Parts: sequence; C-alpha cells; structure tokens
Amino acid sequence: MKHHLLRAFILTAFALLIVYLSRSNQLSLYIAPRMELYVKLSALGLYAAAIHQLFLALKKRRQQHQHTAECGCEHTPSPSVFKNTVIYSLFIFPLALGFFSPAGVLGSTAAAKKGVSFAASTNVQPLGTEPGQLAASLPEPSASIAPKPPTLEERFPYDEYTKAHAEYGMKLYQKPNITVPEATYIETLTTLDLYRDNFMDKTIDISGFIYKEDDMGEQRFAVSRFAMTCCSADAIPYGLMVQVSSADDYKGFAADDWVSVSGKLMTSMYNGNEILTLKLNTIKRIEAPESPYVYANYDF
Amino acid sequence: MPIVRFRYITFLLALGCAGIIIAIALNRPSPFAFLDYSHAQSFKILFLSIILEAIPFILLGVLFSGLLQVFVTDEMIRKFTPKNPIAGVLFGGLLGLAFPLCECGMIPVVRRLIRKGMPAYIGIVYLLAGPVVNPIVFTATFAAFRSAPEMAYARLILAFAVAVIIGLIMHVFMRKSPLRDEREPQLAVHSSHGDYHGHHHHNDAHDHVHSHKPKHDHSHSHGHHHEEPRGSLSSRLSAMLGHASDEFFEMGKYLIFGAMLTAAIQTIMDRSVLASVADQPLLSYMAMMAFAFILSICSTSDAFIAASFGNVFTGGPLLAFLVFGPMIDFKNMLMLLSAFRIKIVLALALLCFILVGLGSWIMEVWL
Repeated sequence: MKHHLLRAFILTAFALLIVYLSRSNQLSLYIAPRMELYVKLSALGLYAAAIHQLFLALKKRRQQHQHTAECGCEHTPSPSVFKNTVIYSLFIFPLALGFFSPAGVLGSTAAAKKGVSFAASTNVQPLGTEPGQLAASLPEPSASIAPKPPTLEERFPYDEYTKAHAEYGMKLYQKPNITVPEATYIETLTTLDLYRDNFMDKTIDISGFIYKEDDMGEQRFAVSRFAMTCCSADAIPYGLMVQVSSADDYKGFAADDWVSVSGKLMTSMYNGNEILTLKLNTIKRIEAPESPYVYANYDF
Repeated sequence: MPIVRFRYITFLLALGCAGIIIAIALNRPSPFAFLDYSHAQSFKILFLSIILEAIPFILLGVLFSGLLQVFVTDEMIRKFTPKNPIAGVLFGGLLGLAFPLCECGMIPVVRRLIRKGMPAYIGIVYLLAGPVVNPIVFTATFAAFRSAPEMAYARLILAFAVAVIIGLIMHVFMRKSPLRDEREPQLAVHSSHGDYHGHHHHNDAHDHVHSHKPKHDHSHSHGHHHEEPRGSLSSRLSAMLGHASDEFFEMGKYLIFGAMLTAAIQTIMDRSVLASVADQPLLSYMAMMAFAFILSICSTSDAFIAASFGNVFTGGPLLAFLVFGPMIDFKNMLMLLSAFRIKIVLALALLCFILVGLGSWIMEVWL
C-alpha cells in the first residue's frame, strides 16, 4: 500500500511538473514545439496512472486482512528500506530540480562544449560539388572580357536538394538589407553560406547571444542561437562570426548578452575554414527572446 | 554483484545530486569548474529535457506492452511469428515498419513479446533494428542529410544488416532466456510484485495451475498471463493500467539514472576533442560511436547532430554514429538492464560496436 501511495504521489508530481512548466512558459526551454503536444498528453496519462495507483492502494488496504487469509500468498515486503529510499529519491530529484530551481537557458558555456556551427552549409553542399566548384561555375564579371553580368538564375545554380535555398537566395539577393529572421534562422544562414559570393558586402542583421572563445582573438566574437530538433539535449548552436576593428567597439558587452548586430558580410579564417563573418556596423542590446531556441523550418 | 554495485553507484549519485542542488541554490561559481552555476544550469536543462522527451514514448511503450499483455494471447503471438530462423530475423528486422517505436518505448514491448512466447532472438532483432528501420526515422535522416540522401539509405541498410546478423548469432549461441531472472528482482521498486514475476517462466507457465480466485488483488491476478485475455473489459483495462505503471517505474529509474549521467557528461565534455581524431582512420569510427553512446538522444533527432559534424568527419564515422546510437547508448543500455540479463546486454553492446564499426567502414566506399 505504501508503494502504491508513493507511486501515486510521484506520478501526480510528474504530471503537475509538466503542467507547471507549460503554464510558466518553461516547457519550450526543454522541448521543441512539435513535441510539446505529446508531452502535455503524457501528463494526462501520468495522471490516470496516478489515480489508478491510488485506487489500488485503497483497495489493498480494505482487502489486506481477508486477502492474506484467502490465498496465503504474502506480498514480499521490500528487501531493503535503504534501497527503496534511494530509488524513490531518484524519481524525486528531477521533480525537485524542475519545481524549485530557477529557470535558465543554455548559453555560451554550453555552446563552448558543443561547438558553434559556423559553416552550416557543409551538409547541404550539392552532391559531388566541392565548395570551390560552386563559386567557379559562376561567371566572374571581372575575369571575362565582355563584362556581361550574370542573370539571377545563373547566380544561383541548384540541384534538386538545394532548390529551395536557391529560390530563397534569389529573393534575398534583391533586398538591400538582409535580416536573419527567427523562423528561418538556420535556412537563411545556410543560404548565405551556400551562395556566399553573391552576398559579399551586403548588409546583414542578425540577433542572438554573444559567444566568445579564446582562439577567436580580441577582435572577433560570435552571435549565435541554439537550434533544437526535439529536446535541448540535441540543441546545436548556430551563428555568425562578427569582426570589429578594436575590442573597444563592443565594450560593455559580455558573453551571453543578447544583442542585435548589423554589418557587412565578408569572410575570415577560423580553425582552418573560411567562414562567413560580419564586419560590425552597429551593435545594440536586446531583450532575450521568449524562446532562446530556433527550430528547423520544415516548410522551407 | 550488480546489486552491490548499484548501491555504491546510487550513493555516489546522491552525493553528486546534492552538490548540484547546492551549486544551483548558491547561484554562484564554485571552486569546482564542473559545479559552476552555468554548468549546473546546463546540466539541469539537459537532464530534464531528456526525461521530458522520453516520458511520452515510454508511456506509449508501456501502454502498448500492457495492451499486448491483456488483449493478445500467447497463441496469437506464436502463430504470428515465423518458425524458420531466417524468416524470423527478417520478420524481426522489418517489424519496425509496422510498429514504429523509438528505443525508449521499445524495451517494455519487446520484453512482453518475448515473455508471451516470441523467440527471443527475433525480439532482439526488432529491438536493434526497430529504432532505425522505421519510416519516421528515415524521413528525419533524409531531412538532415538533404544533400546526401545516400546517408539515409545507408543507415537503413546497415542497421537492418547488423540487427539480422546479431539475431542469427543469438539464435545459434543463446541457450537460456535473455530476460533477467525475475524470481529475485534485483531492484526493489517492483518488489511488491515479486510474486507476479515469478510466474513468467515460459517453460512452466502453461501447465501452471493456480488456485487463486480469478478476482482478487490486482497485482496478483495479472501474474498469470495465460489467463489474462479473459474477463470483463473494465478488469482488463485495470490490469493494463497496472502493468503500465509497474513498467513505467521499472523503466523510469533506469531512464533517470541514464539521463543524469549523460547530462553530466554532456555538460563537462568538450566536443572539440572529437574533431582532433577526425582524420585518424580507426579512432574516428570509435570516437563517433562513443559519442553516440554518451549522447543518448532519440533516433529521430540524432541525424541533425550528425549533419552538424559533416564538415569534420567523413561519411563512414557519421554512419557509425547514426547506426550505433539508436541500437546501444547510455540511457538505452541502462533501460535494457531492467529487462535483460547483464551478460546479454554486454554481448549485444560489443557485437553492435564491432559490426557497426566494420559495416560503416565498408560502406564508406559509397558515401
């Protein structure tokens, strides 16, 4: 009976934890939106199981006397109180963390461990195309004798896997200022990287948290966000490197500060790769967004 | 003895937990870098998110297992599974297409199927192949590797092949039931049902005659699985819920334990160490499999992590990561221990490690 009551308590507490996290808008810190419905539904399941355990506890209590008399089978008591305590505490631990510790987000400490992805495009490279080939296939205006500017379609060659990126790239190309929006954060960065030669010297606006690493040097920092697929255990930081002429340009800003930066697109070398970099024009502090995460856009 | 070891581990864990709670409560950097406030914060987020994400799938798994227990007879399972071992392993490998469960939900279902008379080696093939050979995971892998769709196919093929080979090996070499001896439950949460577990040995389960009246205490009546698919709907539903919550607690303690360890390792481990072995032929495979083992994330989302390593590793190690992780990882191995004997779990882990490493090395030619 004690077991059933304890179980009923733990099951209810897990159900309530889900409700609490959802009510206090914290659920999105742990779980991607497309998973939230399942987690909320499972709160119902946990609750049903809790009620069932409670029912069993009461039933057992009523039957305790006649039961042993009837069938003579004893319910083995737990072999060790100590072990039971440890195991039930194992269940209480996440509950205590969830209810009583302050809400936080993954920040630059976690980003340092996971490693920021600056070259988002490597996995979206057209088949059999080396990074250099893509650029080479574009007619270089300065190199050709008759300087006929390439058409938009010629600037954005694609295969069946990068068609969406090429179309999006053409749209971006016609804008004077490109903003990296929250809804297509990864897709925009990928497009910029994939067709990077077309976007050189364009002004890009991006927001995220500041991430610093020793080997970036004084004059560089990264602005990045965590991209989540299912839960924060699979979140990977994505971002853009930002270059300043001197460290004073971003004085007063520290790691994990949320900022919006604007700058001209260029490239710089980082860990042996040529990565996209913004030459800083303006930087300003912003409020941390409601959800610190960005998600892969499945409609893209 | 696993019991003794478990006791020490839990004690150490309790100390670690206390440390983390203190670090969070104090809200300031401690002299130990890994108990630093921001580390404690990332630990908490990773830990809770792994548990929250797993809960729906475990519930689904235990409910499905409860349904099997209460509504499907052993004869139906017997009739359904092929007698021929070759047909059997192929059947087990493709079962994931019909019942796409992820690894968290799979374990209670497979244990139930084996208890209900499905040959254990077929159950193991389903257990290994199921998390990869299913439409949901294929779609996710395809989405993550948009530019290299051959990765999605390679993952499917290798997982299927490895599972089938292991199934055949198990068919030849496995003599005893792979399930844990449940006469002496090693962990205490379900010990109040110790009596119910005692009746699950296949050999004697069927001529086991019990004098119990059909309607008495719940935890008793569901012990006799061959009697189960009878009775009124409400008593069946009640029995199903009972099974489900028993299994939820059995799986749950391993899940929480696993989530805790993997969250702690992820908080401390620097992923850039992986990059340092990327150009070493043998080490890169082993490192990516070890990484998959530590990460313990769902097979639907690991493809995106693998893709993020696309600029560091070649196709082979990435494939090893994608196939090994769903079959064996930290969380899942601990959960396997709730159902299977420790020797079987270790043998499976070793076989997977060798076969996946070898297989992905061979398949790199096409990637």
